[in-house]
Formats: sequence, structure tokens, C-alpha cells
Amino acid sequence: MKIRSDILRTYQSLHTWTGITAGLLLFIGFFAGALTMFSSAINDWATPPEYQLSQVKAGDHDVLLQQVLSSSPEALKGVTISFEEGSSPISWYGHGSARGFSMDDQVWHATLNEQGDMITELRHVNELSMLVDYLHRSAGIMGELGHDQAGVYVLGIAAFLYFIALVSGVIFLLPSLVKSFFALRKEKGANRFWLDSHNLVGIASLPFHIIIAVTVIVFSFHDLFYGGLSQVYGDKPMFGGGEKHEEVRYELKDLPSLDEIKQATLTYAPDYEVKSISLSRLTTEHPSATVMIISDRTLMRGPHNDYVFMNPFTMEINSSSVTTDAGQQGVWGAIVTSFFGLHFGSYGGELGRWLYFVMGLGGAFLFYSGNLIWLEKRRRKQTVEQSRSSHFMANLTIGVTLGCAIGLAGVFASSKWLSLGDWNINIAYMWVYYTLFLSTMVSAFILGAARFSILGLKLFIALCVAVPLNSLVAIVIPSIGIWAPDSIADLGIELGSIGFALAAFYALRRAKKRVYQGEENSIWYCPNINKHQKTVSLA
Amino acid sequence: MSHTDKIQPHWWSKTLAGVFAGFFLALGLVGIFAWVGPTGLTEHITPEQRSWKTQFNMWMITPLWCLILSFVYMFKTGKQAWLYLGSGAVLSIAIVYALRSYL
Repeated sequence: MKIRSDILRTYQSLHTWTGITAGLLLFIGFFAGALTMFSSAINDWATPPEYQLSQVKAGDHDVLLQQVLSSSPEALKGVTISFEEGSSPISWYGHGSARGFSMDDQVWHATLNEQGDMITELRHVNELSMLVDYLHRSAGIMGELGHDQAGVYVLGIAAFLYFIALVSGVIFLLPSLVKSFFALRKEKGANRFWLDSHNLVGIASLPFHIIIAVTVIVFSFHDLFYGGLSQVYGDKPMFGGGEKHEEVRYELKDLPSLDEIKQATLTYAPDYEVKSISLSRLTTEHPSATVMIISDRTLMRGPHNDYVFMNPFTMEINSSSVTTDAGQQGVWGAIVTSFFGLHFGSYGGELGRWLYFVMGLGGAFLFYSGNLIWLEKRRRKQTVEQSRSSHFMANLTIGVTLGCAIGLAGVFASSKWLSLGDWNINIAYMWVYYTLFLSTMVSAFILGAARFSILGLKLFIALCVAVPLNSLVAIVIPSIGIWAPDSIADLGIELGSIGFALAAFYALRRAKKRVYQGEENSIWYCPNINKHQKTVSLA
Repeated sequence: MSHTDKIQPHWWSKTLAGVFAGFFLALGLVGIFAWVGPTGLTEHITPEQRSWKTQFNMWMITPLWCLILSFVYMFKTGKQAWLYLGSGAVLSIAIVYALRSYL
């Protein structure tokens, strides 16, 4: 395909500059984002097996709910009944709430003992997945702005650059696309290899990336867009409006049984399974039930489930994220739900999650390789001395990417040990992450990208290997109080950790080769200290 | 091709045109769609249908704005970018205001 050369040049510069400014932020977003695909497994892995109280028999949820509601006024504000195995049957917030980002949430868990008496426990919420999600949404940029983290808006702006980078990348790749798409030219030098794989990954996952860019912008700036839209609408209502709800105060004793609520939900959305029911504001004029439902066969709106909202007393369905014959979502609702589902990867069950995990890591690779290509293009090919901007960018690239990876690996490696101490574990996670991230950055700048890449990869491997080693320690010396995996999903986390270690080991071998034996006129070249000394002593 | 036919960089003016004029153009286009498109604002629809359509409308602003931002650099000069996008924005917003007042 032929494109005018001035257009190509324009879009090449555009791709370079949007890529280099947004790339590292997006790297963190994608790396952490790939991990969020397994957030429930991560939380389960990070919490001691006895953290969740034992689930009750199928019919006993109502009995327990009645006891909870009569003994704990806090539960009237909001209480969640879970039907999932391995989760406490009933829980409610003692401190904090399910919304927003908070690190000292405490949740009451309740179950019935063998005699049918209620047992309750107040527990800190261990939010390892919350840390991962926080990094995913804010790239670890601290501070709050309005009702969200400042980092969310920064990533929103980065997503604009990302979209432009995608379009410009495709435009200037078009002329050579057909002949070099599947070419991975290893023999033509490292630069060619990085460029080919960058193009391959970028084009192959283009639809995914377009969806992610658009959804991130909407997630960050929907307030602005709704504000603009309200001007367009004039005095037409944007949501609901018009009709008046009857102000009725319901009596708690009139609450239908959970089975009836379940039944009403399943009549409305027949292909689903009920995961949990959250009842809130039960004693006010606006009681509400949020029924979380799951299905592997459709695209779901939430990261883990779809929702049905109803009045728990009348079981009248107000709204839902499911497109059914009974609902009124129509084509618009279906499209909106798809946007959410396509960002969260909440379709196709386990397979969909793995696919998104791979594509998320692929995205992280895209941004990392983009920076490497930038560095290769700018290096001086005739001299060992490289420019300061090249060194700065190389140090920053290695510092941020390895910093994020080492920080997260460190949190996972220390998580179970941290749970032994008498502190707020979520704050401890933050300390571990930021200490590792910042010291990695500093070391990368002090030692230089080339030398530090070797050290950093070794540290990353050590931390990844520590994850399964901890479990070995737990099995050998159970008295310490840490625990080994007790489910397939938990085991998956540890295997994943080994997988990351192996990948980093391969990267380490390549990096060593490049640093010590690669081309000398490169920012990646460092004379081998030992070898250097040997030649000196021989002379 | 002579020098004057070629695309001039004009990074700042084109980018600003894409950001500001582009936003209002995208909003205006979505506004027209919201008023006269299917399941429009003049139709009698249930609150739930309205809520979904509003969400859909909101979602459409981003892809339009992004496409404008991506292709604004195709304009030969920054001035042209402002001229076309600016008048497009003014026109579409004017139509939305007319629809708001008369429908």
C-alpha cells in the first residue's frame, strides 16, 4: 500500500513521541492489569485458609441472615450473602465500604456453628488484589484528585496518546505491513528483532488495544462527558426521572426469603447462576438488592459478574446489566455492556481470563520494546560514548519496568510473612512496593541501565522463586504460621510466579550476552569487570 | 509535489485544534444523534431505556474525539485544522441548540 511520504513522516514522529511519553505509564498499567485477571485467586492465595468462615448448608442462609439483621444494626446498611464455596456465608462492613479505595476496611464475617448458633468475626480486608488494581488504574502515581486517584486521570491522558500511537503506528506500518508482518528477523541484529516483534504484537492485538484505549479514557473522564452531554440534553433527563417512586417504608419481617429473590433473578436471567446477594438500606424508603450473577457463556459487565438490581421487598427489577428478553437494555445497553466486558475480559470464564492475561503482558511488552527501539534508533553507531538523553531514557525504562516488576514480586514474596505481624497489611504492602520501586529506580540511575538490568533481573528472579519457597517453608515448619496453597487457583499463583522467574532467567541470559559481549557502541555495553581486570593483569 | 502541498508539522496548533475543536465537534455529533437518532430524546421511552441510551451516547464521544485527534495531523496546516474542525464544531453545536429549543 502506498502512502505519501510526508504523511508517513508526520505519523512516524507522532508515533515516536506519543509512544515515548505514554509508554512507561502504560507498561505499569498493563503489567498490573494482566495480574488483575486473577484477582480473586490472588486474594484467596494471600489470605490464610481460616480467614473465610465456613459456608452454611443451602437452606440455612435465611436463618443466619435473620440473626445477623436482628443483632447487628450496621448490617442493615449493607450486607452480602454469598453462596460461593470457600467464602463466608454472610459479611458486612464494620469499617469502610466496598466502594472507593481504602486500606483499613474491616469486615464482619458470620456463619453458623454445628449447634446452629451464630459466630461472628471482625477481620481486616487483605487487599493484595486491591494493590495490584490500584497500580493497574493509577500506575502507582500517588495523590487524590476529586473523587478518584490523580493517577487515574494521568493514565486517562496517557490513553489518548496511546490511541494516537496506535493509529499512527498502523499508518506508518501500512506500506511494509504485508511483507514484514510475520517476519521475525533475528539474524539482522537485535534492533530488527525488537522492531519485528513490536509490530507483530501490536498488529495482532490491535482490536484489544483500541478497546482498552477507548475504555480507559471513558473510565477516567466520564464525569466530563456526562457534563457535556447534560448541556446537549437541555432539560431532558439523562437517567430515569419523570415518574415518582412511592415512598414506602418496608417492614423487615416482610423481606422475602433469599430463595425467592434468587428465583426472581433466575426467572429474569435464566442462563445465570447466583453468586451473591447484597442487600442495602433495608430500613429506608429506598431498599435495594444487588444480585451478582455469573455465566461463562456471555460477556459480563463487571470484572467478575453481571448485576441485577431490584427492590428486595417487592422483587421488582429496577435495572440490570444482563440483556434478556425480560429487560429493556436493547442494542444500546448491549453495546455499553460489551465495552465494560471487553475491558475487564469478563467473558469466556477461565479461558477468557488467560487470554486477557497473555494480551495484557503482550501490551506491556509492546511498550517496553517500543522504548528499546527508540533507544536503538538514537544511539551513536560510531562511538562508545552515548548521549545523555539516551542514557537517561535507558535508565528510566529499565528503572520503571523492573521497578514495577520487582515491587510486585516483592509484595507477593513477603505477603504471607507480613500477615504474621500486628499491623495493617495493606499499608505494609504499599511500603514494600514503593520501597522496592523507588530503590530500583535509584539503582538504575546510579549503576546505569546496562549493569543494573543484570542485577535487577537477578533480584526479580530471587523474589519470584521466594513465592513457592515460602510454601515449602510452610509445609516443613508449620509452626511459623504461614500457609501453603490449598486450592488449584492458589497453586496457579505459585506456578505463575515460577513462570515469571523462568522468563526473567531467559531475559537475564540474553541481557548478559549483550552487556558483556554485545556491540561496544551501544548503551547496553559494559566491559566485563572481571574480564577487564584479567586482560590488564595479563598485559 | 511542491513544498506548499506538503503537510506542515504545526504540532501545537493542530493538537490544540484536535483537543478543543475536536471535543466540541464530537460532542455536537453525539448531541445530534441523541436528539434525532434512534431511541432519541423526543421519543417516549422508559427510564431504563433512557439510562442505557444516555450511557451509549456518553461512550460515543470518546471514539469520535480520538479519531479526530488522530487524523487532525492530516490537515496541511494548523490554520486549516482550526478552520475545518472549528466550523464543524460551531455548526454541530448550533444544530444541537436548535434541536434543544424546537423539539
